[in-house]
Amino acid sequence: MSDPIRVALPRGDLRAPLAERLLAAGFVAEGYAEGSRSYRFAVTGRPEVLVRVFSERDIPIQVALGQYDLGITSCVWVDELLVRYAHDSIVPLRALDLGAERIVAAAVPGSDLSRLASGVMRVTTELPHLATRWLNRLRIPSYRVIEVWGEAEAWPPDDADLAVLPAAAAVAEGLEILATVHTGSALLIGNHRALAERDLRAALEPLLSLPAGPLTAGPESPRPLDVPRGVRRETVTTRTSLRLAVPDGHAQRHTAAALADAGISLDGYDATNAVRRPRANLDGVEVKVLRPQDMPAAVAAGAFDLALTGRDWLAAHLAAFPSSPVVELADLKRSRYSLGAVVPDALPAETIEEAIAYWRRDDPNFAIRVASEYVSLADHYARARRLGRYRVIPIGGASEGFLPDDAEILVEGSETGTTLRANQLHMIDVIMESTNCAIGNAVRPTGARGTLRDDLVSRLQRAAEMVPA
Amino acid sequence: MASTAEKDESMLDGGLRSRGMHDLGPQAMRGFRAVERTFLDTVASRGYQEIRTPAIEPLHLFTATGALSPQLLDRVYSFLDWDGWSGERVVLRPDATVPAARWYDQRWQDPSEAARLCYVQPVYCFVPDDGEREVWQCGVELFGLASPEADAELLLLACDFLAALGLRDVRFELAHVGLVRATLAAAGLDPAQQAEAYDRLLAGDATTAIANANPEVASALQLLTTVDGGGAYVENLRGALAAAVPEASTGLDELAAAARALDAAGIAYRVLPGTARNFEYYTGLTFRVLVGDTECISGGRYDGLGEMLGGRAVPASGFGAGLLRLMNLVGGAR
Repeated sequence: MSDPIRVALPRGDLRAPLAERLLAAGFVAEGYAEGSRSYRFAVTGRPEVLVRVFSERDIPIQVALGQYDLGITSCVWVDELLVRYAHDSIVPLRALDLGAERIVAAAVPGSDLSRLASGVMRVTTELPHLATRWLNRLRIPSYRVIEVWGEAEAWPPDDADLAVLPAAAAVAEGLEILATVHTGSALLIGNHRALAERDLRAALEPLLSLPAGPLTAGPESPRPLDVPRGVRRETVTTRTSLRLAVPDGHAQRHTAAALADAGISLDGYDATNAVRRPRANLDGVEVKVLRPQDMPAAVAAGAFDLALTGRDWLAAHLAAFPSSPVVELADLKRSRYSLGAVVPDALPAETIEEAIAYWRRDDPNFAIRVASEYVSLADHYARARRLGRYRVIPIGGASEGFLPDDAEILVEGSETGTTLRANQLHMIDVIMESTNCAIGNAVRPTGARGTLRDDLVSRLQRAAEMVPA
Repeated sequence: MASTAEKDESMLDGGLRSRGMHDLGPQAMRGFRAVERTFLDTVASRGYQEIRTPAIEPLHLFTATGALSPQLLDRVYSFLDWDGWSGERVVLRPDATVPAARWYDQRWQDPSEAARLCYVQPVYCFVPDDGEREVWQCGVELFGLASPEADAELLLLACDFLAALGLRDVRFELAHVGLVRATLAAAGLDPAQQAEAYDRLLAGDATTAIANANPEVASALQLLTTVDGGGAYVENLRGALAAAVPEASTGLDELAAAARALDAAGIAYRVLPGTARNFEYYTGLTFRVLVGDTECISGGRYDGLGEMLGGRAVPASGFGAGLLRLMNLVGGAR
């Protein structure tokens, strides 16, 4: 049988409305509509077509690489790739009538772009390439784009001047929209070479019959801002209160328990609920909820004195920025899991060295693909293990689905191994054991802030001692 | 001993060399060194001293000075350094003049004395497919000497350099951003609108639209962007701009002085006042030099750069030459 026609479809918010339209178009990926946890689907009556589910942000790169012939994803992720890595391997085929979204620049109410541009403008976003393009067209003299994993809206005004994010997220946070950065909807895209050389009709015809949406506008090209040119100096602010960052999401349950055991009460933060700025029962402590992935960089930048995150994210940060001043201050001994190199069970190798030899058995120049959400750790691992020629594929989720077809190695965390076993995968090489931890700057703050940090760290350490090994 | 029978560069790729970057073998290096030596000897004889600046610079050095258009900024090799946790990016040097200006501001001891500096180093910018992403430049920067003496010095220096290489069929093209800027300002456009309009003018299809929207400067704009010529053309410009754009008189004087310097040296040139590529960065006369149809040198005046870098206000100008392009021209000439 010849190579299948490979189609990448999104999970997440686009999945349900897209499944409905695919059904009407006679393109039924069995299980996709039902939200199956599988990553691969057969298509009813179209044996030559295979569907694989990805996070939206991963689909453009998969189509650009030619690993998938066709894909449907949000236009914003296609443009996020193309504005930085312009090439003709992605062909936009059809804007669809779903997933319309506006990406905006937003700040706290009363902000003014020209005034923000008079200093070093700090911008948080999950879309660094679109944000940078927009800033360059505005001719912002000096800016810093802080790429975050999520919740860019959490950063202004104290930790960033501006966030570039979906309009709905900006409004929900109470930010004021200052400008539009990008507009678009879901998009059907194809790989240029596959469209030129392969018969894709079995998938192309039904997908091209999906209801069309309005033409997508894509990235905005704003008029240059009328601000003086010149090098900006950063303003250094001093504060007397201690700033503490606590995580939301998966880590929230463990962190709430650690805080409770340490006698630190946060009003507005418990195992399941979190407001943006919980109130601490300790004087002089300001608390903010952030994504744990983004905390090491925020601490390094001096925005926080203490942050409760995972040791894996600290390691990822230090792999990217070895001279960062961030250190672990206390092991909270919760949320324990292993992080390592994951491979398919079917791989005939017991060690990573045997695996490398197997992959290169026919071609000594074979580029080993390492997929991971932990890009810097995966890169560090590939160098440390002397992988030779390799590619790190940054991914946004649905990670187990990358093996065996779309990567050789997955650098991934696993608490019990259950999910890996369910996908016929196993960890061949452990990189680190991770628990949650308190991090801070290697240089202790002076004065009351330092004393307060010492007190909080001591409390957390004592609480950790009570955690069963 | 190195073989002189070097393989064509394109044969060496096979995924083992980054696209657009240069391997230079022994034979090519002999040509490279010959051009470099001619350049350094020529400019040293006029008092220019060599400097070298880092390959990696802070990105904001270039965004703050408007040294690169947004489209070029999209293509620089920028990244977060190993200590770039704040989000501040660094960049592989995309331009040689801004680093030289920074060097002058931070290192030059006596600001009352003109600084004549030169360099031979590569700049980096992404271009698609097989275009040149690593461009070796030899160039000069002249700080502290005001126009028009400095403009004439640079024009004649560029000419002498090409003559020393044995290149003939040399042609200069002169422009002046001050003329278009003054004309657009006279039409009531603020600096940001001027930059936007200038981008459109450079794209080649907007002169009529902009002229129609600004009838008071329509004839000046048409003359500036759709006609080119010699010394007589400069005088026609003076006539057309005198009433509508009186602020253009200084620029016209500078352009006329440059034209006179080239006339006196017997060098062929054309005046194309609306073609300076970098509107924000240059402040006065700009020029490019072609050998046959090949552009090999470009430069101009950038008086505002020092202040933009937070340093002292100082008149400044310079030019850069494509070293490998010249090497190929010299090879062809032989």
